[in-house]
Amino acid sequence: MRTIQTDVLVVGGGGAGFRAAIGAREKDASAVLVSKGPLARSGASPMAGADLTCHGLGMRRAGFFGEPRDSEEKFFSDIVHQGCFLNDQRLVEIYVHDGPDRLLETLAWGCKPRFCDERAIFTSGTGIMDAHLREAKRLGVELLEDVAVLELTTDDGAVTGAIGLDIRSGELLAFECKAAVLATGGWHKGYTPVTGSKELTGDGVAMAYRAGAELGNMEFVTFACNIPVWPPVWRGSIITYVMGIMCGGTLENADRERFLEKYDPETVAIAQRTEWNKSFFSNVAAQEIRAGKGSPHGGVYYVVGDEPWEAFEARAMSSYPGWQFKGGDFSEMAQMFRDGEGVEVAGAAEYFEGGVCIDEECATNILGLYAAGECAISLFGANRVAAATMEMLVTGAIAGRAAGDYAGKASVPAPDSKQVATLVEKIEAPLKRGSGEPPSRLRAKLQKDSQEKLGPVRVEAELTGFLGFLAEAQSAQLPELAVQSKSRCYNKEWIECLELENLLQVIELSARAALERTESRGVHYREDFPDVDNDGWLKEIILTAGESEPCVAHREVKVTSLKPPTGVIPHFEMVKEMMLAHSDVGGHH
Amino acid sequence: MPAEPGKEAPSVEKTVKIRVSRFDPATDEASRYDTYKVPVVHGMSVMDVLDYIYENLDGTLAYYDHAACNQGICKRCLIQINGETGLMCQTRVTGDVTLDPLPRFDVVKDLVTAKGGTSDA
Repeated sequence: MRTIQTDVLVVGGGGAGFRAAIGAREKDASAVLVSKGPLARSGASPMAGADLTCHGLGMRRAGFFGEPRDSEEKFFSDIVHQGCFLNDQRLVEIYVHDGPDRLLETLAWGCKPRFCDERAIFTSGTGIMDAHLREAKRLGVELLEDVAVLELTTDDGAVTGAIGLDIRSGELLAFECKAAVLATGGWHKGYTPVTGSKELTGDGVAMAYRAGAELGNMEFVTFACNIPVWPPVWRGSIITYVMGIMCGGTLENADRERFLEKYDPETVAIAQRTEWNKSFFSNVAAQEIRAGKGSPHGGVYYVVGDEPWEAFEARAMSSYPGWQFKGGDFSEMAQMFRDGEGVEVAGAAEYFEGGVCIDEECATNILGLYAAGECAISLFGANRVAAATMEMLVTGAIAGRAAGDYAGKASVPAPDSKQVATLVEKIEAPLKRGSGEPPSRLRAKLQKDSQEKLGPVRVEAELTGFLGFLAEAQSAQLPELAVQSKSRCYNKEWIECLELENLLQVIELSARAALERTESRGVHYREDFPDVDNDGWLKEIILTAGESEPCVAHREVKVTSLKPPTGVIPHFEMVKEMMLAHSDVGGHH
Repeated sequence: MPAEPGKEAPSVEKTVKIRVSRFDPATDEASRYDTYKVPVVHGMSVMDVLDYIYENLDGTLAYYDHAACNQGICKRCLIQINGETGLMCQTRVTGDVTLDPLPRFDVVKDLVTAKGGTSDA
């Protein structure tokens, strides 16, 4: 087994990982960044639209028109309202304060904005990634690609290293580090459809949990709305999501009823032009589908509506010249709209608010272990409207610098050889097992069930049944999975067996938290508890590994300056109140 | 003509032959082709077809998808499709297809090549 030594090990090749590695180098620590996929094309970051949010004064500092009436306080207030007051307000203050610096450096490193509004530049996820890749290379970060980090090693509550798998060769790698930053993103692969890439399997969250880390807010999952579910080649594209904001359009159910008209028009209008669309439209579309009014492939229909096609297409052309978007050709979609047809769309798992608990230094409760970006508990609380791309850069920088500082002072023993041997045995077990079920069937079942039972709408009976399946899958099915090829080179079934352990674990914890939270808030909507309970539930649900079952605890939300509301009110009334509390500042956020 | 809601959209299902180059440097001297019969519907990509083979016919097949974005963004799923370079995730399958790894790169296994990062930086 090859050994790789470094001061700071950064696990994850998206924006948070790159910014953390840069942060560690800024503190003169050596840094190795391990990307599970292609360099600077891994994780959700390169797939982002992408907006990079910052308050209007920061935008002016960066040379954009911004918004002179804006302030840190207003942006802070808007984010906490959007998060339905479940945010850690200390982290929101940091996000608001550090945003302008992260924006300025991203531009200085070569990221080109396409256009801007009062509170955001709009660029591409790949543009953000390339800027950070250049800077990481310039600072001498060692970069590994197609390597999955699978387990952390610890000694007396402090991190000592990790075990990784070189996916191409099948070789195991032993990392020895003084500090580690987890930046592994969400667990999109546990769902279908999704807007994130396939390597997002909750690896960092699951390995941190196994090592003793606290997880929080696991019940909250943001679903991007209006994502195509059919035909297969369009599945997961954000084209119709972006179209909804830029061009309009509306939703119809299987009876061709325009069901958005059943809801408060002001709420619909605000959702249509802001990122509130994600939580609101995904929720109401899921309600139609659950009521049996869905399309053949489990969606509803996104249609142009009453507007003349020419006007709609003229706007669409500014975002999708020639009906090309990202890497895809959507001219067939244009023809469908022109013919008055709808595209089958649904909510798709996009952003996971839950994750590893962190403090203001992005430190976890394990010494030397830091977390940044989507795999950390979100500063956006119960619902994200402002940009996760800025969250990844802000928390990545803090985590990398803190890890670099810690690595400069800490004396860390080498990983325990017995611990390493045990983990290696576990990692190689599926490869050595004689016969058994292939992992793809269990993964497909998990994806379908997560979408249905842990989607935008939840209910006790379904969550309980789902937890039963997850328990059985983990105790009986997972240990019996086998792979047909014993070759170590790019063995898809082996990789899937290892990923499934993590996916099943984090989704079980998410379902447990969703069952525990007997209210609706933000993106967590309980059909059987449709009210927001501000008296009983302004709390985070914290999960830690127990002897046999996870330990579940409640923790008061961290409040600095914005006092949470009181009282019990219906979910959509709370949504509207939070929308209307927005400050007098323009833009999509 | 607008699709009638609530009913399966008309999609021509047919069976196509997918010929895939197979090579495992750990055990094979040279590459060979395996051929699979796959039912396809309108709007299936090469990636969808390979997923079908992997999940239903042959779990030993290797193609770069463990970290694929599936949206034509990461560009890591470039292979030779009927002799032309194309993305597995964005190239539609309408008939019989032959799939080879990208030329001029070392083959890791089957359709996976050791092509490095695809970013512009």
